[in-house]
Amino acid sequence: MTAALRIARAEWGFWLRSRLLRTALAVFGLLLTAIAVLSATRIETESARRAAQQQAAEAAFIAQPDRHPHRMVHYGHYVFRTPPPLAMFDPGIDAVAGQALFLEGHRQNSAAFAEAPSAAGVGAFGVPHPALAYQLLVPLLLIALGHAAFAREREAGTLAPLLAQGVRPAQLAAGKAIALGVAALAMLLPAAGLAALAVADGESPTVAALQMLLYAGYLVVWVLAVLLLGALLPRRADVLGALLLVWLATTLVLPRLAASHAATAAASGKIAADIALLEGLRNAGDGHNAADPAFDALRRQLLAQHGVERVEDLPVNFRGVVATIAEERLTALLNEAAERRMAQERAQSAQLAAFAWASPALATGIASRALSGTDLAAMHRFQREAEALRFEFVQGLNQVHANRLRYADDIQRSVDPEAERRTRVDASHWRLLRAFSFEPAAPAARRANAFAASVALAAWLVALALGLRIAVARLRP
Amino acid sequence: MVPALEADALTILRGGRPALRGVSFVVRPGEVHALLGGNGAGKSTTLLAFLGFLAPAQGSVRVEGADVGADPAHARQRIAYLPENAALYEHLDAYENLDYFLALAGLRAVRAAIDAALDRVALAPAARTRRLETYSKGMRQKVAIALALLRETPILLLDEPTSGLDPVAIDEFNRLLRELANAGRTVLMVTHDVYGACQVADRIGLLRDGALVGRFEAAPGARIDTEAVHAAFVAREPA
Repeated sequence: MTAALRIARAEWGFWLRSRLLRTALAVFGLLLTAIAVLSATRIETESARRAAQQQAAEAAFIAQPDRHPHRMVHYGHYVFRTPPPLAMFDPGIDAVAGQALFLEGHRQNSAAFAEAPSAAGVGAFGVPHPALAYQLLVPLLLIALGHAAFAREREAGTLAPLLAQGVRPAQLAAGKAIALGVAALAMLLPAAGLAALAVADGESPTVAALQMLLYAGYLVVWVLAVLLLGALLPRRADVLGALLLVWLATTLVLPRLAASHAATAAASGKIAADIALLEGLRNAGDGHNAADPAFDALRRQLLAQHGVERVEDLPVNFRGVVATIAEERLTALLNEAAERRMAQERAQSAQLAAFAWASPALATGIASRALSGTDLAAMHRFQREAEALRFEFVQGLNQVHANRLRYADDIQRSVDPEAERRTRVDASHWRLLRAFSFEPAAPAARRANAFAASVALAAWLVALALGLRIAVARLRP
Repeated sequence: MVPALEADALTILRGGRPALRGVSFVVRPGEVHALLGGNGAGKSTTLLAFLGFLAPAQGSVRVEGADVGADPAHARQRIAYLPENAALYEHLDAYENLDYFLALAGLRAVRAAIDAALDRVALAPAARTRRLETYSKGMRQKVAIALALLRETPILLLDEPTSGLDPVAIDEFNRLLRELANAGRTVLMVTHDVYGACQVADRIGLLRDGALVGRFEAAPGARIDTEAVHAAFVAREPA
């Protein structure tokens, strides 16, 4: 057995003989396991609930009776953002962003909370989840275990006899790092269980492994930080105080400062963006009013195209055509505004990410949400996919309106019950609604989203390893 | 003959101030050499310099002719070091402490050899499986001495080795040191115990304020004169 392994074994022996540290290890192990089980149960339940709600919404849409297709445009439809498998480990925005979107004609609605329990994570520190526990709590355990690694030897006078046996300072540091590193990896076992469960639920094994690698890297950052300050500072009280300050600054203060800073970046928000859009929407024309001057050119073009004098003589229902064109113009404007808003949100997110270079916890959190598929990019993708579905079924209904209904009936239906009856189309048309299922982004896309923050974390690893190497080379009794 | 230990114009700075100032002496193989001095005289600093824990600001230290600064690993391989206060692990028993330190030194001693070493330092068998936190200072010192013996290195550096021992144990320890020296092992011990040093040492160096201010050597078959050393030790001016 090498000197480093003997030192590591001696360190474990010391921890296991200390009632306080033994208790701390047991409490943390139980706590992490409990959080993992609760989180897995919660996300599995949420996932099943939202999938069931999605099916119920689709069934309700298809079950609508024969009616005017534009009534179905306004009847609308719900889509639900089912959490990805790795949300069990890091729910990310799942708890704080809406999970359901109501899709209807002429509007892009904001996401809302589907059920009260879905919003339980909002407020205070929210529902504890494994990612948060690993980012915040496990470093505290590593500090408790490792802060005295060198100071204890120095204070007890055992550093001199240790080094006098021919042990090199680098071997001593390696032994302490192995001991602390193994403790950190043991704490990752509940997380590994969740990752395995996520893989069983369909998650990419590569992404799940990368997620574990990310957290192993984060905990190694803390192992190195604990040992670096332990090697630099003479007394264990100094080491403990310094480490707690670093923990407070990098896991609590800096991420919140970063969030506050990012919030100052210009971002109009959904409601402000909607208000700014109003003028553009007015110019696009009212799709309910075929006589709106905005559609004069369209009318002239159609009449000329079909060589007729009146819209009544067109082979298509002019009101349906107007609804189709209006929806197209309006959607282009709404999408442009939505992309503008999402770009602003991405800019805010980038400002937050800049702080990752100052906080390994922030870097880990950003990369973790990206890998889990619970980051802002996932929310934007959900909004885009939902919008694509909305546009698709609304335009499908508008096509039915244009092609299946006679213009003459359409304009008389509010005063003529027979005309109204004839404008009802067969309910089988509602089957044009495509089934919606929100799937996680491709592994390559998630890896790409996590790359920059992972590089920041790797930079921390390298810097701390170099710092420890220098500090340990100067280690003296 | 190559000296076992050699300090040549050794100057060491600690906290920016000189802890040793141009100290020169040699310790011959098989010799018991004592460095005497009061608190802060530079005795422990000298030992740490031989182990390569403190780098000379000027001068050099050599172990068996090899410069310690250039190869501290060689020095630590050839030296067994007994620190002041016998620093060992309180949560381990005597066997566990010895096993651990010997393993780190790359040695594997069987239980019989460890028991023999503990017998030699007169540590009661019943105490050997008790944690060191229950030991007296003298008992800890005995375990530390046993470790130095088990290392079987040609050179022993002892920092206040009899501190905490009762008179009987001191007597036994001094006898043990003589046996080791007679077997060819070199001992450099630092102490402020004038009587003990004169009892066991072949030569004595007197340190004061980081400078070597006196040297004493036993005549063949005789001991160093305790009175003369004591007088030099307590004198205000260098001897």
